[in-house]
Amino acid sequence: MFSRFSLLLGIALRHISKRKRQTLVAIAGVGIGVGFFLAVSALMIGSQNDFVETLIDAAPHIIISDEIRSPTPQPAVRAFPDAAVEVRHYKTRNEVRGIKDWQGLMRTIGARSDAVASPSLSGAVTLRVGGREEALAIVGIEPGIEAQVSDVEQYLKEGRLRNLETTQGGVIIGEEMASRLGVRMGDIMAATSARGVTRTLKIVGLFERGRGQFGGSSGYVLLREAQSLTSQPFVINRIGIRLDDPYAAEDIAKRLEARYGYKAESWQERSADFLSLLVTRNVIMYTVISAILLVASFGIYTVVSTSVADKRRDIAIMRSMGFSSGDLQAVFVMEGFTLACVGVLAGWGLGFALMQVLGSIEFNIQGSTETMPLDRSFFQYAISAGASLFSAIIAAWLPARKAAQVDPVDILRGAV
Amino acid sequence: MTGTPLIRAEGLTRVLAVEPPVTLIRDVSFEINRGEFVAVIGPSGCGKSSLLYLLGLLDRPTEGRLLFDGEDTTGTDGNARANLRLARFGFVFQFHFLLPEFTALENVTLPMRRLGWLGGAEIDARGRALLGAMGLEGQEHKTPDKMSGGQRQRVAIARALANDPALLLGDEPTGNLDSLNSKRVIEIFHDLAAKEGRTIICVTHDPEVAASAHRRIHMLDGRIERID
Ligand SMILES: Nc1ncnc2c1ncn2[C@@H]1O[C@H](COP(=O)(O)OP(=O)(O)O)[C@@H](O)[C@H]1O
Ligand SMILES: [Mg+2]
Repeated sequence: MFSRFSLLLGIALRHISKRKRQTLVAIAGVGIGVGFFLAVSALMIGSQNDFVETLIDAAPHIIISDEIRSPTPQPAVRAFPDAAVEVRHYKTRNEVRGIKDWQGLMRTIGARSDAVASPSLSGAVTLRVGGREEALAIVGIEPGIEAQVSDVEQYLKEGRLRNLETTQGGVIIGEEMASRLGVRMGDIMAATSARGVTRTLKIVGLFERGRGQFGGSSGYVLLREAQSLTSQPFVINRIGIRLDDPYAAEDIAKRLEARYGYKAESWQERSADFLSLLVTRNVIMYTVISAILLVASFGIYTVVSTSVADKRRDIAIMRSMGFSSGDLQAVFVMEGFTLACVGVLAGWGLGFALMQVLGSIEFNIQGSTETMPLDRSFFQYAISAGASLFSAIIAAWLPARKAAQVDPVDILRGAV
Repeated sequence: MTGTPLIRAEGLTRVLAVEPPVTLIRDVSFEINRGEFVAVIGPSGCGKSSLLYLLGLLDRPTEGRLLFDGEDTTGTDGNARANLRLARFGFVFQFHFLLPEFTALENVTLPMRRLGWLGGAEIDARGRALLGAMGLEGQEHKTPDKMSGGQRQRVAIARALANDPALLLGDEPTGNLDSLNSKRVIEIFHDLAAKEGRTIICVTHDPEVAASAHRRIHMLDGRIERID
């Protein structure tokens, strides 16, 4: 069996080695197809991964807020659901905002070994330095826990999250805000809340410029500080959860929301628009790539079908020698397959080289030098090889069937 | 065993399904024994080659039966027929059909490698021996385009003998050779029949070849006129 295979392969190799130009063109076709597949998909998937990673880690994987998706019915309606009399113009009871029983929620999440939850309270204050005033959305956190849940620590240009604990009245604001107020690290500002509470805050950290919300209008303080500034002791209105497996977020969020009633938003829900955009992008990418590989396999089709046409006499000879029609079909399929294999290897080389080039390009984004995110995973190599070899087998098999159908007697008669 | 003829044709008929149908071979019956050298003769276009293709299992009769070594080959499938050709038959055609990409030795060893009964070294040795027996020592690594017509035809004979066939089928094997080379080929055929006991069926136009055969099948218009 093996000797037969190697014999037929030997014949196939001998055939293609005698038609160098066509062989080269077919190999180049597959090689270029595979090479660009690798380069393009490395770039597309690399940037996608980079993007999704940013989506995932920009904020906690799940955010439970004190909102409720469908507001609870008013007490009167709740008491008499099928009442004949409809109560109108009732006054909405102004419930104290915040998550009730947040300690219970924290315990539920704390019981999971794959999740960390960080409670926070957000509110608004006005900062005042000298004659200047700026509105600041403050977020009260437990620095130790928050650091495990989100990447805020990474966005700090100066200072550390921990400084909030060590400095009484510490606050972290963004560079933009600081420059608007004309303050620097260690400076002291007055903060006044809507309830009229005023405190002095000291800058213990600065967020990098260009970090969206962090840079501009948000500031971090200690949770206790936020609670007393907004006169809401023991209240929190947000729980951020980080999971070991971010892809479980959607599922866990649904269950938490069903159980506690509060809106639990997963990163997937938060980024649904972007994610569906990525799907479209992938469909387009793979369509284009498949077209490239399909065109590459045309080269193989051409080589094999001209080879079959040129070798009709040899086919008849081999048939008379005792080769079966299946043997001859195999010879020509192997011709195409061999070309595709060499093409794939060449394409891997080309793709690798292209990735090296792409990876070496550096460009500046807001002061920091970055390179293109590339996905160099083996998976892409395997996919490109699999798709090329599969299409090559089809492309070779179609004309190779003709080799099997050659009637040696027709050829022998015609040869005389 | 020796009692059964190697080949037994019973009313072989081959009609080509063209419009109008052409009858290549019409109701042909005969027997050929082991070790016989039989010549097939007749005017051009009388169906000699067509008969040879039927006997070599390259073609199928539309009617009648063909028994090889007592076994009916009529209903056998393509693979079985290919295997029989591989192991038991050898063909030599007028236009020494060698594979152009392969050397003389490779052409000769190809059937052995396909059959796979011998190891690589044995195949190589046998290929060299066969070429040597055809007076082609030193030519093993030449490709067909570097050889003369007579040399190529002897390579083709060596290849036909590769798997030690019981039956050698020749279609005007000397038709394209000068008289010296023709003589050599005919001597080789006689030796193969007389010394090695092979059966040889040879289509020929050469009166000398015909005269030297054990028997002659005379054909005319797809029919056997007589056998003598
Ligand atoms: N495809 C075909 N259509 C019509 N006639 C054919 C065809 N092929 C062969 N023949 C005819 O069959 C006859 C037998 O041919 P062949 O066996 O080659 O004769 P020979 O070998 O004795 O010269 C010839 O007369 C030839 O013209
Ligand atoms: Mg003829």
